Amino acid sequence: MKDVMGIIYTGENDARLRELTVTRAIAAMPVAGRYRVIDFLVSSMVNGGMKNIGVITQKNYHSLMDHLGSGKEWDLHGKNEGLHILPPFLTRENVGVYPGLLDALRSNSNFLVRSKQEYVVLSNSTIIYNAHLDELIRYYKDTGADITLLYTKDPSMKRDEYGTYLSLDKSGNVIDLEVQPTHPAYDNTYMEVLVTKRELLRELVDKAVSHGQHSLDRDILLRLVQDKSAKINAYEYKGKSWQIDSVQSYFRFNMDILDPKMRKGLFRDDLPVFTKVRDEMPAYYGVNSHSINSLVADGCQIDGIVENSVLFRGVKIAAGAHVKNCIIMQDGQVHDGAYIENCILDKQSVIKRNARLIGPEAYPIVIGKDVVI
Amino acid sequence: MLLAGGQGSRLGILTKKVAKPAVPYGGKYRIIDFPLSNCTNSGIDTVGVLTQYQPLELNAYIGSGAPWDLDISNGGVFVLPPYQKGKSGEWYRGTANAIYQNVAFIEQYNPDYVLILSGDHIYKMDYNAMLNYHIRHGADATIAVREVPWEEASRFGIMNTDSEDRIIEFEEKPKNPKSNKASMGVYIFTWEKLRHYLEADEADKKSNNDFGKNIIPNMLNDKQVLVAYNFSGYWKDVGTIESLWEANMDLLETPMPIDMHDKKWRIFAKNPGMAPHYIAKGASVTDTLITEGCEVYGNVNHSVLFAGVIVEEGALVESSVIMPGSVIRRGAVVRRSIVAENAQVGPGAIVGEETGNIAVIGQGMSIPAGVSIPAGEQVDEAYTF
Repeated sequence: MKDVMGIIYTGENDARLRELTVTRAIAAMPVAGRYRVIDFLVSSMVNGGMKNIGVITQKNYHSLMDHLGSGKEWDLHGKNEGLHILPPFLTRENVGVYPGLLDALRSNSNFLVRSKQEYVVLSNSTIIYNAHLDELIRYYKDTGADITLLYTKDPSMKRDEYGTYLSLDKSGNVIDLEVQPTHPAYDNTYMEVLVTKRELLRELVDKAVSHGQHSLDRDILLRLVQDKSAKINAYEYKGKSWQIDSVQSYFRFNMDILDPKMRKGLFRDDLPVFTKVRDEMPAYYGVNSHSINSLVADGCQIDGIVENSVLFRGVKIAAGAHVKNCIIMQDGQVHDGAYIENCILDKQSVIKRNARLIGPEAYPIVIGKDVVI
Repeated sequence: MLLAGGQGSRLGILTKKVAKPAVPYGGKYRIIDFPLSNCTNSGIDTVGVLTQYQPLELNAYIGSGAPWDLDISNGGVFVLPPYQKGKSGEWYRGTANAIYQNVAFIEQYNPDYVLILSGDHIYKMDYNAMLNYHIRHGADATIAVREVPWEEASRFGIMNTDSEDRIIEFEEKPKNPKSNKASMGVYIFTWEKLRHYLEADEADKKSNNDFGKNIIPNMLNDKQVLVAYNFSGYWKDVGTIESLWEANMDLLETPMPIDMHDKKWRIFAKNPGMAPHYIAKGASVTDTLITEGCEVYGNVNHSVLFAGVIVEEGALVESSVIMPGSVIRRGAVVRRSIVAENAQVGPGAIVGEETGNIAVIGQGMSIPAGVSIPAGEQVDEAYTF
């Protein structure tokens, strides 16, 4: 698969993630105890044989750069190829903020031009999946399509007002697309992952941007389907996927992953997920601690009670503290006598002695980074 | 230069298939992570690892040296097995001979000083501080020592020193020790001197080619400047089943006798890349270290679980060390045991006892359902159930 490159776009709208995305892109959101959203995307690409991967960043990309580094953890520190972080820069037509994915691709067209691979996989960064992308590419080549889209029939991925939905004929060709419908009519959710020829993508982007267009789904895919000027088909992803675009969906994903079946669907022996290593020692459970139904990363010290929660690396739960249905990011602390329920604690936040915080299940409380309560 | 060629035969079946430095320790480490991390943290960026016995797993583990930041272009970590030189070629005959056979490797880097380490101990030590001490004393050799209880001193190589820590005599396992300063097997030599003594030692056909038995005594006879460097931190020889088990249990003490949370002195290890561990509803986990990839549905107390260990419902693990990838099936009971990598303890089986010696289950072994393995037993392919 040396003939395929990857591009990940991380500039999506993140307003519904509240404080969580003040200092980071959605792609850099910490998930499942030790990962960032982007780990799943980059790992899928690497497992699919891609060795030249570009990550287009928009705003708040410091944490993303810090996390990805030289790409070593993903074996992407090759001599010429490997991981390329593509931050925004000023050009004549670009003032640094991309109005849409197409503008971002146009700004980075040099990366597309200089790459040597014949094919390109393009992925957004708000959906967590762990796919055999080599199978998607094989399907694309076998069917002789111009563009192949990855989609899922998972009903939980079908949401009003957001996303793009596909209507397919019997042989899997796309015959219609709905882009951000209020009530989607089709059950096939496009996962914002496609494969095409590198040259074709460059041409399509060029043409669309020079006509003042910004949306890949609406201005390229929909038009091509309506004009019948290209063969666009779709390949079904049968695994589990999650949209991470709001506090609720972020919370849901982390809680879902507590279910051993769901977890096995995402963490598969044949598709390892790589991430930055922190060299923490194993987690320690104290003599009087009590933990159930929880996912816990290395470096944690648990002396209190933890239920239905996800604890990231280096979290401390003191004796007498009680944590229920919570997500606690790296180095968070909950002190003696504190009780927290349905909360998301961002990195390094501290819940002091005897504090009580109970959020409604449908709208978890978000405690910002470094906040002390 | 890290001497990692020994078999570690006192670890029984645990070192049947792997060299001692590759034996897992502390939930996510291998013994060799300690000297290698000490090197990185001390700013030593060129390390030769001398291997001989069962090197495959150790070679694969060290790889490019990336986990210890030793994958650099000028220097880094090198695995050094014995090799053919001209028409001759031979195994490493002793610790000194192993270094002698790698003189050419050392000369490539033109060092002023050489640090000799072994891959047998759990400890954190700043070798750079020891090097400064060596330079300050104008020494030809510096030997790290630690004070051991007097009643145990006759089990060690003992350094007798004057009031300024200059070594005046070395005694291997003395019956009537005059000092309780035991050698830790950590040496710094001024390279010119060491090369001279290695060459002389090699020419002596009667020599055992050993640092403790030959090189050090010869240097003392010649009135070279040998000084003792006192070390007082946690130091554990994990050379036996019991001491390996104990060293693991030490990590469960509060406060931990060796600070593994120290951000300024991280112990690095190759990461298995698994999801965080999961404690299920109905499980009970107390006084235990658990790492990535573990799934606990049963009861675990006072134990250390390595990556990917599964403890099924109704199983009990107590005061035990369960190495990577092993599975403790439904209703099994494991007490005071070491279960090596990728082993299975069948449903309802009983391994080890509440008292007595540590039971050991060898790498990849399967204990059939309902079988009992008494305290102190070692189960490998030759064992009849």
